[in-house]
Amino acid sequence: MTATRQIEFREALREAMTEEMHRDKRVFLMGEEVAEYNGAYKVSRGMLEEFGPKRVIDTPISETGFAGLGIGAAMTGLRPIIEFMSWSFSLVAADQILNNAPKMLYMSGGQFGCPIVFRGNCGAGGQLGSTHSWCVESLFSNVPGLKMVMPFDAYDAKGMLKTAIRDENPVFFLESERLLSVKGEVPEQEYLVAFQEALIRRAGDDCTIVSFGRALYFCLEAAQELAKEGIECEVIDGRTIRPLDIESIVKSVRKTNYCVVVDQSWPFASLGAEIAAQVHQYCFDDLDNHVMRVHSDDVPAPYAYNLEQEMLPNARKICQAVRSATYNA
Amino acid sequence: MSIEITMPRLSDTMEQGTIIRWMVKEGDTVSAGDAIADIETDKATMEMQVYDDGTIAKIIIGEGQTVEVGTLIAIVAEEDEELSDIAASAPDAKVDSQSSPKAEKVDSPTQTVPVAIEPEPAASIQTQEDTVVPSYGNGRTRISPVARRLAEDHGIDAASLQGSGPAGRIVKRDVLRAVEAGVETAAAVPPSAAPKPALPITPVSMETQIIEVPTILEDRAIPLSNVRQIIAKRLVESKTSIPHYQVTVVFDMDPLLDLRKTLNEQLADQGVKLSVNDFLVRCCALAMYEHHEFNASWGGDHIHIHGQVNIGVAISLPAERGGGLVVATIYNADQKSLRAISADTKALAEKARTRGLTVDEMSNATFTISNLGMFGVEHFTAIINPPNSAILAIGAALQKPVVRDSVLTVGYEMSATLSLDHRVIDGASAAKFLQTLKKVIENPATLLV
Repeated sequence: MTATRQIEFREALREAMTEEMHRDKRVFLMGEEVAEYNGAYKVSRGMLEEFGPKRVIDTPISETGFAGLGIGAAMTGLRPIIEFMSWSFSLVAADQILNNAPKMLYMSGGQFGCPIVFRGNCGAGGQLGSTHSWCVESLFSNVPGLKMVMPFDAYDAKGMLKTAIRDENPVFFLESERLLSVKGEVPEQEYLVAFQEALIRRAGDDCTIVSFGRALYFCLEAAQELAKEGIECEVIDGRTIRPLDIESIVKSVRKTNYCVVVDQSWPFASLGAEIAAQVHQYCFDDLDNHVMRVHSDDVPAPYAYNLEQEMLPNARKICQAVRSATYNA
Repeated sequence: MSIEITMPRLSDTMEQGTIIRWMVKEGDTVSAGDAIADIETDKATMEMQVYDDGTIAKIIIGEGQTVEVGTLIAIVAEEDEELSDIAASAPDAKVDSQSSPKAEKVDSPTQTVPVAIEPEPAASIQTQEDTVVPSYGNGRTRISPVARRLAEDHGIDAASLQGSGPAGRIVKRDVLRAVEAGVETAAAVPPSAAPKPALPITPVSMETQIIEVPTILEDRAIPLSNVRQIIAKRLVESKTSIPHYQVTVVFDMDPLLDLRKTLNEQLADQGVKLSVNDFLVRCCALAMYEHHEFNASWGGDHIHIHGQVNIGVAISLPAERGGGLVVATIYNADQKSLRAISADTKALAEKARTRGLTVDEMSNATFTISNLGMFGVEHFTAIINPPNSAILAIGAALQKPVVRDSVLTVGYEMSATLSLDHRVIDGASAAKFLQTLKKVIENPATLLV
């Protein structure tokens, strides 16, 4: 057994970046407030001191500028980590991150890759209002050429960020502000977490629930509640959205015959819709009901606390969907 | 369990019906077959019968009211049921139980976009469709894919199960309960060989017992096979564009049947068995040879006389090949012996019924014979097979009282009806042709030379 310790999600992220920056001199961190202020969310605390201003770089409030700069650096041999204070702000850099980075290898005929990591908070942080509460996973995962990761806990945050930094492609690393303070077991020893390997967070035979990132906590809460009613859910953490480990999901659905997908982005043309479509495709003869989906409500995020809680794919909605899916409504 | 009486469809075109008169009142006892109401349809006023024994618990649609077919009009209580309970839970008059779920119209003045089927377009939990999906019509079993698979694995007739899912969908647990209840009687037998249970099996708890009458006949649409499409197209063309007329004649069959018997006895060793039809093919071919105008087709601005006598023989196809019929061609039948005609016909019929005929084997007939004699049919008329100008419809050779040499005796007679294209062949020619044919049939020795 390797020794472990309890550290916060944000510390796990920092360890990943620090270890990779020691290992590879091409790796650097750039973003708003990442250096002098130790990070808007204190993820990069102490890193300026450790690596100096050439590798931990504060930027002006210009996502278009520093995202594009990072892409150029990646194309010419460096391994940038670009921090978006929130993925909501990445939208102004859409041309850089969606229209250039993921297509660079293709458009240059293989001459230029784009080994870059974009990371930051994604999803409702807590009363941040409509424009600062974006879940970009459905919108962005539509683009070919990028990878997308949504870690669930400190262990995955560290292991997957290290894998992301070493990846030759642009990796969109979606963290949750709500999870940054959550502590988890992390080994002392160095480790990596591979992409496209979904994980069963809770085993069960009665209904498969598929989710990613923070929404998994809603799922686990719901699963606990449903267990009291005798419905044992299998909660699957997809971990990477692209590439998607559909095999693990299919394997579970073939066992349970029911599937509920929980996706914190909006329902229309979403990640949840994609997974539901694939489950219908691969598990048609194994399904006892159509796949049901739980999303954030199809409205801009409200500011009011109670409304925001109600908008999210919360445990109550998940319970309702599972009961309905398994004909226990 | 109470029985719901709905407005019946009393004619093909009936959409709604009017209750003219109730012959019963609430509390009356009725037996299966009793007339309980007069219903006026779009065509007539008809009596409506009840199909179960019981007591009229509630009349929902009153006299003089008009409702859609399928609307609940009355409720019959079975024995040992409390009438008051049923009456209390029954819907009030004019409730349209048949109407499919429709989206609510939103009256809000700010709502400018028409609201679609989804009651909550912005809903984040995509489960609502269960409540808005209209139910399927008759003949379709709602069953989930995995339930269907399980039912097949266990040899359970899914149609016999009662679904507990939305709109009666059969789901996994319904099949599993049936398996537990021991419905799996047919497991050892392949599903196709499993006997269909006479009555619906309801392994589910009896609290929702369903009264179902096993269906024997039902409306269904059968897609057209290619053969059926061609038959439909060509015969409509023939019957609508060719001025048909018919001429019937009766043949004395004794000489031909005697000759057939003799020949078949002599040829039995060689495995040859000539049919009456084989004789008739040769008879017709010889008559055609003599009457060139019969071996002809209408050419629009001319009449085409064919240089070959090719006789088409109608062959019915078995159901497993889609049914219908094809016309196989015996080429140059006038030049072929009975034995050759017999061999050709047998080979073509066998091929048509197993592998199907080639285009050549079905083309170029100049005259067609359609024979229903083997079914005991005495007389019928056939539709000309274009581009032929005539077709002979042959009935059975039957024993009849006949007059021979001024003596009443018993003999075999066969009737045949010739359908003709009047554009090509006139009545007198037809009569002459039949005269020749009669001469050949009744003096069959000619067939041997």
